[in-house]
Amino acid sequence: MALSGMRGLSVFISDIRNCQNKEQERLRVDKELGNVRTRFKNEKGLSPYEKKKYVWKMLYIYMLGYDVDFGHMEAVSLISAPKYPEKQVGYIVTACLLNENHDFLRLAINTVRNDIIGRNETFQCLALTMISSSARPLVRKKAALCLLRLYRKNPDVVNVDGWADRMAQLLDERDLGVLTSSMSLLVALVSNNHEAYWSCLPKCVKTLERLARNQDVPQEYTYYGIPSPWLQVKTMRALQYFPTIEDPNTRRSLFEVLQRILMGTDVVKNVNKNNASHAVLFEALALVMHLDAEKEMMSQCVALLGKFIAVREPNIRYLGLENMTRMLLVTDVQDIIKRHQAQIITSLKDPDISIRRRALDLLYGMCDVTNAKDIVEEILQYLSTAEFAMREELSLKAAILAEKFAPDLSWYVDVILQLIDKAGDFVSDDIWFRVVQFVTNNEDLQPYAAAKAREYLDKPAIHETMVKVSAYLIGEFGHLLARRPGCSLKELFSIIHEKLPTVSSSTIPILLSTYAKILMHAQPPEPELQNLIWAIFNKYESCIDAEIQQRAVEYFALSRKGAALMDILAEMPKFPERQSSLIKKAEDIEVDTAEQSAIKLRALQQTSNALVVTDQRPANGTPPVTQLSLVKVPSTSSNVDHHVADQGLSQENGTLTTVDPQPPPADLLGDLLGPLAIEGPPSADVQPQQNIVSGVEGVPNAVEATAIVPVGEQTNSVQPIGSIAERFQALCVKDSGVLYEDPYIQIGIKAEWRAHQGRLVLFLGNKNTNPLLSVQAIILPPSHLKLELSLVPETIPPRAQVQCPLEIVNLRPSRDVAVLDFSYKFGNDMVNCKLRLPAVLSKFLQPIPVSAEEFFPQWRSLSGPPLKLQEVVRGVKPMPLLDMANLFNSLRLMVSPGLDPNPNNLVASTTFYSESTRAMLCLARIETDPADRTQLRLTVASGDPTLTFELKEFIKEQLVSIPTASRAPAPAPPAPQPTSPPAAALTDDPGALLAGLL
Amino acid sequence: MIRSVMVMNTQGKPRLAKFYDFQGFVLVSLLNVDCDTVLCSRAENVSNFLDAASIFGPDSSLVYKHYATLYFVLVFDSSENELAMLDLIQVFVETLDKCFKNVCELDIVFNYSKIHTILDEMIFGGQVLETSSTELVKAVEEISRLESASNSITLVPKSVSGWRNR
Repeated sequence: MALSGMRGLSVFISDIRNCQNKEQERLRVDKELGNVRTRFKNEKGLSPYEKKKYVWKMLYIYMLGYDVDFGHMEAVSLISAPKYPEKQVGYIVTACLLNENHDFLRLAINTVRNDIIGRNETFQCLALTMISSSARPLVRKKAALCLLRLYRKNPDVVNVDGWADRMAQLLDERDLGVLTSSMSLLVALVSNNHEAYWSCLPKCVKTLERLARNQDVPQEYTYYGIPSPWLQVKTMRALQYFPTIEDPNTRRSLFEVLQRILMGTDVVKNVNKNNASHAVLFEALALVMHLDAEKEMMSQCVALLGKFIAVREPNIRYLGLENMTRMLLVTDVQDIIKRHQAQIITSLKDPDISIRRRALDLLYGMCDVTNAKDIVEEILQYLSTAEFAMREELSLKAAILAEKFAPDLSWYVDVILQLIDKAGDFVSDDIWFRVVQFVTNNEDLQPYAAAKAREYLDKPAIHETMVKVSAYLIGEFGHLLARRPGCSLKELFSIIHEKLPTVSSSTIPILLSTYAKILMHAQPPEPELQNLIWAIFNKYESCIDAEIQQRAVEYFALSRKGAALMDILAEMPKFPERQSSLIKKAEDIEVDTAEQSAIKLRALQQTSNALVVTDQRPANGTPPVTQLSLVKVPSTSSNVDHHVADQGLSQENGTLTTVDPQPPPADLLGDLLGPLAIEGPPSADVQPQQNIVSGVEGVPNAVEATAIVPVGEQTNSVQPIGSIAERFQALCVKDSGVLYEDPYIQIGIKAEWRAHQGRLVLFLGNKNTNPLLSVQAIILPPSHLKLELSLVPETIPPRAQVQCPLEIVNLRPSRDVAVLDFSYKFGNDMVNCKLRLPAVLSKFLQPIPVSAEEFFPQWRSLSGPPLKLQEVVRGVKPMPLLDMANLFNSLRLMVSPGLDPNPNNLVASTTFYSESTRAMLCLARIETDPADRTQLRLTVASGDPTLTFELKEFIKEQLVSIPTASRAPAPAPPAPQPTSPPAAALTDDPGALLAGLL
Repeated sequence: MIRSVMVMNTQGKPRLAKFYDFQGFVLVSLLNVDCDTVLCSRAENVSNFLDAASIFGPDSSLVYKHYATLYFVLVFDSSENELAMLDLIQVFVETLDKCFKNVCELDIVFNYSKIHTILDEMIFGGQVLETSSTELVKAVEEISRLESASNSITLVPKSVSGWRNR
């Protein structure tokens, strides 16, 4: 410290020291204070040096226990001095002197803030130090928020370990202002990691109780008679980040408070009071939803919401609808929500567009088979009056709902055609492609669709999309109407041809195809019609548009081939079933950025629980209405082989190949138009067309052949959605998620593991409107696991979900996995799949932190095989060390950073639980080679030879990218076979030398 | 967190714009215009909520309140409660009213810095700092008192010059 340079100060201090008694000291201090006071008053000529000196003297005097009631301004002014020494003095003195002085602290804060936002790091530190030393509520408030800001900006920079206790202390604060800020900080902290903050939970509940009962709430924090609504809201928000509340007492008192809030809130006249009380109420509703309260309380909530959506106050109507939409995630209450359907439909006519939007969202969310007809009809009706901003969304939603929940197919066709009629501009191509696919794949529907199309063509002005779809339908299926009045081929032709002058060049090719088809259906040939159509083809042979020109030329040439025309232009084969691109599109729209929020976390939890809630979108996108799909074109065999090779692991899963059968939606148009244009690209999707062409060359039956499913393919006709192997891999590191999904069923898993025991719940969700029959689930347990599956019902009702708990006990270490042999029947399809259950070795691990003092003796005591095994692993998936550490942590092997002196190495520790080994400490060390990331050396040690071997193999499997080779003999004998490299390699490797040091 | 606080009049002139997490200076005027065209088209007796995702990106909501010639707008993300934000606008306006005695648009125009001070006392880095309007008024009064006090004593420059003269 630069005290030596300040002679005056030294003199003063020695003077004080030389004082004989308190009285003398007092006199000296008084004299000095007088001196300082005069110098400060006489501002002129006071150099920074002098100022600094006097301020130090003041601090000294203050330290001696005298009241220093002046000169604070000078202290504060030093903070804003440009040079560090002055500034430092200013900060130190201010921090010491001013924590009780109200006025000057505020001035200090401004300067401090300037320093914090400034570029100079030392100044920032000074400022923050001062903040931390001051106990004033005002500053603490700001400090809490300041920390929060830093934490949000860059969570890595702020070290949050050990904040839990401090947070808990902060929550004991009585000052509501400070509490509000602390609660904001807590919300941010728990949203990232709630585990560490369990101790804060009861305190939050206490705070909430205090506010809800209006105990000890100062007047200035009462807003329109409500005790700090913001703090109440924040507190409840924080509580929503804790998955559950286990302590029954806390839970009970929380529910009491919530009950009080739910019941005690009424709509009042004062708008502001209304807002505040409802802010609290809505947050309470969200919390109740989150806590999965008893059904009674839930229905109470829905009843409240039902009241809200009918009130006069628009804000409350809006939020009522929004919260009802969130409420849909809770399975039990959907029926109760449906009772309010009429009111929600009325909200579609609300004068406020914001409210109409919410109502639409809610209707979309609550739609299912039972109410689809009503809801879609309402949406269609609303479509004609809706503003343009909403029409596209409306039409997309109507189309999706009609597709997902059609009670019968003709209704679906009606809806889409109405949709095109009413809002043609807003109907994307996907929508009409989809209806064509349906009609093509369902013979019963074809005459009906053609007749409908014919009706629309009678209208004087129709949208171009309508021209496209009706021309296509008439071309394909118009001949089915032959006996109806006004539907002779010639009449059909002329009514379509009327539209030709009104359409753009993208529609003309479709019309030309229609003409060609009509011509083909005219048997025996009608010369008059033939001449008419030939004339048109002739006309377009010189069209500037290449597509039109080509079609005209080719159709003209083909139509002169006579009988061969029949084959070439035969009816379109059925389309392969695939995920609706519409639904995909809707999902894309709903994709949000991943901002952490309670509601989203909740939604995530929901999907990972694999809840196939009746009218909620499943996690992985809904497949098309599969009961409609009668036929599937099997994938080409080469394709299958390719995938199998890619996913060696999936071989174990037996009969089901893990081919993702969905071609990109872009070829939809190719599918529709490809077979019409003769020269399509030779891709798998236009394969039927190639057959048609080959049919011309002499195999006339080829067309039929493609439309029939080969008998042998029966069992494979149901393709899983997504890769089974990938899902399994994901579940190995997660505790809940989807295990298997195909168009009919989704199997979700949620697991809890405790020591050597586990409880796994299978969620079997029927995604369809028909029941799944002969459901069978058999567990094939490996020898080391004891498994007990509760009864699986034989039938899963439509759109229902069945939960089957499974108890697991781990007897001894092994990498073998249990297999679930699952089968069911849907219609004539018998589906069987063998799925690996994610009850893998790592699930019985419990990460524990190990300090250097504990680690090294353990590591040394477990020397050499069979207790310590080492292996050089090649062909490792290259990944940065940090990712590898994360992988280990996710496998419940806790990485202890810094334990190994070499930064390229990782050291991990964990406890393994099984009945034979009990809790057993396992240690692992990975030595990576920064020059070659594909190889590393793995050393595993534990007190049990089998465990060491199994764990080593298990880790290896996780690290190696294609694990087929290493796990070729699936139930590998758990013999402790040391596979470590020869000792020579040990001494050569510099890493080995390090290992010796460890 | 709160993403932005804006005040604008019914003609769409911005009176205050503060952004806490995004959109640089350049975008401010653009956003204001955007907001305004949307706001002015709304009737009196409708809700105070607007779909903000199209203007401010995903995960943002907007509440506004109309007072005489001014719109007060708050944009925030899903971690905040909508009605609580609406209340916050009310607190802001009540505080302004207390500070200026029947606040009007002109007060806000000519006391731009003071409005910022008040706002800074209420919202800090996008988080609610203080919700009691009495506390806010107290804080603001003290700051202004300190400002006038510190203006009368010119501190550093004088002493620096004194040091140079020495």
